[in-house]
Amino acid sequence: MKLLLIEDEKALATSIQNYFQRENFICEWAADYESAIEKINIYKYDCVLVDIMLPDGDGLDAVKELKRKNPETGIIIISAKNSLDDRIEGLNLGSDDYLTKPFHLSELNARVQAVIRRRSFQGNQQIRFGKINIEPQEHFVSVDGQEIILTRKEYDLLIYLIANKNRVLTKESIAEHLWGDDADLMDNFDFIYTHIKNLRKKLMDKGCPDYLRSIYGVGYKFSEQ
Amino acid sequence: MRLLLRILRYQLVTSMIVLFLGAGLFYVTVRYLIDREANKELFQSQVKVRWQLRHLDTLPVYILQLGDSLQLQPVPYPGRPFMRETSMLNLAENEYQPYRQLVFYERSLGQWYRITISKMLLQRQRLLETVVMTITFIVALLLISLLLLNSWLSERLWKPFYKTLGKLDHYQIQQHETLVFKKEETLEFDQLNQAVTQLTERIAAAYRNLKEFTENASHEIQTPLAVILSKIEGLFQDETLTESQLVTLSSVSEAANRLGRLNQALLLLTKIENRQFLAGTEPVNLVPIINGKLQDLEDLILKRKINIQTDLEPIGLIIHPALAEILVNNLLTNAIRHNVENGKIIITLRERFFSVKNTGKTLNLNPEQLFERFRKESTLSASLGLGLALVKTICEVNGQNLKYDIDNEWHTLTVSW
Repeated sequence: MKLLLIEDEKALATSIQNYFQRENFICEWAADYESAIEKINIYKYDCVLVDIMLPDGDGLDAVKELKRKNPETGIIIISAKNSLDDRIEGLNLGSDDYLTKPFHLSELNARVQAVIRRRSFQGNQQIRFGKINIEPQEHFVSVDGQEIILTRKEYDLLIYLIANKNRVLTKESIAEHLWGDDADLMDNFDFIYTHIKNLRKKLMDKGCPDYLRSIYGVGYKFSEQ
Repeated sequence: MRLLLRILRYQLVTSMIVLFLGAGLFYVTVRYLIDREANKELFQSQVKVRWQLRHLDTLPVYILQLGDSLQLQPVPYPGRPFMRETSMLNLAENEYQPYRQLVFYERSLGQWYRITISKMLLQRQRLLETVVMTITFIVALLLISLLLLNSWLSERLWKPFYKTLGKLDHYQIQQHETLVFKKEETLEFDQLNQAVTQLTERIAAAYRNLKEFTENASHEIQTPLAVILSKIEGLFQDETLTESQLVTLSSVSEAANRLGRLNQALLLLTKIENRQFLAGTEPVNLVPIINGKLQDLEDLILKRKINIQTDLEPIGLIIHPALAEILVNNLLTNAIRHNVENGKIIITLRERFFSVKNTGKTLNLNPEQLFERFRKESTLSASLGLGLALVKTICEVNGQNLKYDIDNEWHTLTVSW
């Protein structure tokens, strides 16, 4: 998978690049509008991450250019602006998602994967992890061919865990993924624990090995080892 | 009280005092003069009568016929002469009228007589009537002219003042507007208008600066925060970290997350205050928003075993859709956050109001303080303390009314429009 990151803040760009390199993605970086347009015109990407506030131009123009040049590329706007108008304009221009700074890299990762999955509709949309098989369009989850009925939150949680497999996920990032702005309603993280416990139980009941490891004081890690 | 009314009141009181004092003085003076005149006449009559009585033997009797005003009464011995006032029946007009009488004694032909000369004091009464009538007339005239003058003054001269006042009354700092006035003929009003214009210019500039600063600062904070959070997340993946290092890193991460949310909320608050969300013309139906939100919060509601009752009419208010969502969201999350286990929430949406009623702990603080920023029950809470401040700001910007009522364990927040 090949990504392009258009972001003027070097420190943030490096973090994002490192994160996606661990996913075995190729993540290229353009620090300004000009080099972004140049890269868009030369290469083809699976997904482009655009910061709309660039020192020498409007990221929304880059989105337009990209749409014209290569309509099947997935686009995620990352912005310090939470402005509703920007969000609507961005989505109208054909971007797939909009993420407000600051964000969790695991959240960005989950969204990138979702965008790539949606975009590659000729190909295989299935998500596989170990014995787990998910068909996202039908919200169908099975372990070894046996269907598992999950609640909406459990399903979201499972997708999120798989998207960020082999990584330490903090409780805050899980909470924010599942409840968004309402995450601060949870005065403690017992709540995530309840969902994790239920999900783990449902998976293991169907003979799935325990993939979920809790990391003391931090959160969880979903991996095959 | 209106300025002109106050001036009128003072003017009236002063002119009344002056008028009545003047009338009193006038009355006393004229009465004194008339009295003196009456007494003089009485004494003249006395001299005449005396002379006649003394020469009674040489004069014909009919000379003494002075009419009713002279009475002769034979008495055995004389007394002291005196003067008195009395009222007597006037047969011609059939009413009592004031008289002044001079009583004296005179001896005639070896017999003592008591002589009473009466003089009618009708002039005095007439005088009183005239004075009262004149004063009443003058007062009425004065009153009418003062009222006319005042209404004319307020119509003409004070008009610019009231115009300025009206504009200031409707001045809203959030609109960033400067008040501009036409040139006035009256120097003072023109100066006032210029001062107001300058003042509002300065206020608008200061307000704009402040808001821009807040918004820019919040924006600028977002990027470094994103860097901090991404670096922390990268660190979490480092397998060589010890457990205690991870725990420390986790609290750093929590604090940075909180800072991010806080910043977002403040930014939103500033934007709402800056009126970046303008209401449309069509009312936004709140029912789908409420139902959607309740669905989002379902697991939280279930976990705390909160019973929700809804009574919704499919209507809403005129508001920006994003603000409608924040409004509903914050009211509902507030009702859940401050609820008790097995508590209740009653949501009512009617044509003119939307209310969220929930059970909760009794509060000791002033209801108004609830809407202050960063107001929360404990520092331990994950709440930012901005939820109700946001609701309050939204209502202020959109011209809705937000009310908080507490009735024992029931807390009600009502938005009416």
